[in-house]
Amino acid sequence: MKTHVTLTQNRANLITSRMIQHLIFGLFMIATLTFNSLSAQTQTSSNTEINVKGMVSDEYGPLTGVNIALKGSNVGAITDSDGTFIFPQALKPNDVLIFSYLGYETRRVKIKADTNFINLQLVSEAIDIVGALASDKPYKSKRSF
Amino acid sequence: MKTLGLLLSFLFAFQAHAQVSDFNHIDFKKADSMALVYKGAGLKNLPELSHNLTSNLETDVERFRAIYKWVCTNVSNDYGLYLKNKKKREKFENDSLKLDAWNESFKKKLFSKLRKRKKTICSGYAYLVSELSRLANINCRMVNGFGRTSSTAIDNFNAPNHSWNAVKLNDKWYLSDPTWASGIVHPNNYGFKFNYNNGLFLTNPEFFVLTHYPIEPKWMLLEGDLPSFQSFLENPILYGNAYKHLTIHQTPNKLNNTIQKNETITFKYELLEPIDLNKISFIIDNGFKTITAKPSSIILDELSLTLEYQFDNTGYYDTHFLIGDDLIVSYTFKVEN
Repeated sequence: MKTHVTLTQNRANLITSRMIQHLIFGLFMIATLTFNSLSAQTQTSSNTEINVKGMVSDEYGPLTGVNIALKGSNVGAITDSDGTFIFPQALKPNDVLIFSYLGYETRRVKIKADTNFINLQLVSEAIDIVGALASDKPYKSKRSF
Repeated sequence: MKTLGLLLSFLFAFQAHAQVSDFNHIDFKKADSMALVYKGAGLKNLPELSHNLTSNLETDVERFRAIYKWVCTNVSNDYGLYLKNKKKREKFENDSLKLDAWNESFKKKLFSKLRKRKKTICSGYAYLVSELSRLANINCRMVNGFGRTSSTAIDNFNAPNHSWNAVKLNDKWYLSDPTWASGIVHPNNYGFKFNYNNGLFLTNPEFFVLTHYPIEPKWMLLEGDLPSFQSFLENPILYGNAYKHLTIHQTPNKLNNTIQKNETITFKYELLEPIDLNKISFIIDNGFKTITAKPSSIILDELSLTLEYQFDNTGYYDTHFLIGDDLIVSYTFKVEN
């Protein structure tokens, strides 16, 4: 009897969770459509695209020469001596910018409709610097005669 | 929508099936030519470099190959920098605060030198390979550990001294060492000479572990009983060229051996490709003079090479096995009556 109750409960749970899933999916679709049309409207009506500027630094101050690349393309920018950059191409929401600088952890930033200025602090890579070199010097034993 | 998903998954399944897990069947010519096209490119824009090297290639293994080959043939090893770092690390061995401070300041110098002059030491190679790979969406990481060479302290390692790469291709991890693959340091003038060695690209883990002992044992990529650190310290001295000619080293499995006069010593190796048997020789040094000798017997069964040798006199012999001019492996034999 007890088992039976649990079973029906489970089934009820299952049904509700399915319904919720569908509901969420539906809402998501509506949301996506609305947002799409909204952003399309703003783009067409005011003709604005997202122009992104920004500044990159580390814990000590601005970083010069940081690369900013648009994911999946070959378009990019480099930070100036004061750590600032202006991305040369107008971006769309959900575009991803990749910030990379040798010795620092690479960061990815997703562009939102209201992203105009990116202020980013890079963290240096936590690595131990070691090095053993390949050598062609023949091994010489330390003999004890 | 569902049908589309199904169709897509079918497509992927077919693709996965079509990809050869044994990369011997993949021709790396195209990947290597990408590395050649961008020879001399700078390191100031890593995303662009990674994109340029990989965007025309079909498979992850080819993309990884182009990156690896580019790093090996464009970044040189800085021996002065290496020595300086080694000295400081040994000095601060028991003072972790000073060691951290040194590491932090040296890291800055190292990366600045790498950016500006494409010179580095092994952490720089492994770092660059993993960074460029990650920018190409390839799962690649640095592995730290102990590298055994003829010039590192043989029986006494104070601290990890080497870094290399593990890369995940088609859901399987592989090992590569871009530092050793790029070239060698001249034994006398310490200049660096580019000399690409293909044997350290996706190397057989069982063979790799004879010279590379990772801090985290899982990066040996071995199953079953793992070799102990003590046994690692007793291995013969294998040179970079061993990876050029061999796929496995079997016997003698120790650097130092004690044998009887006239006892037959058996040397067993697996070759990467057939070789001219006339090119096989031993260089034997008894502390007073050095001679070149031929094995008393050579048997080649497909790619399995078996050599034999006997010492007629007692003594202590440093014995080097060579193919042509390439030094492969060294042992010592104490010959008793």
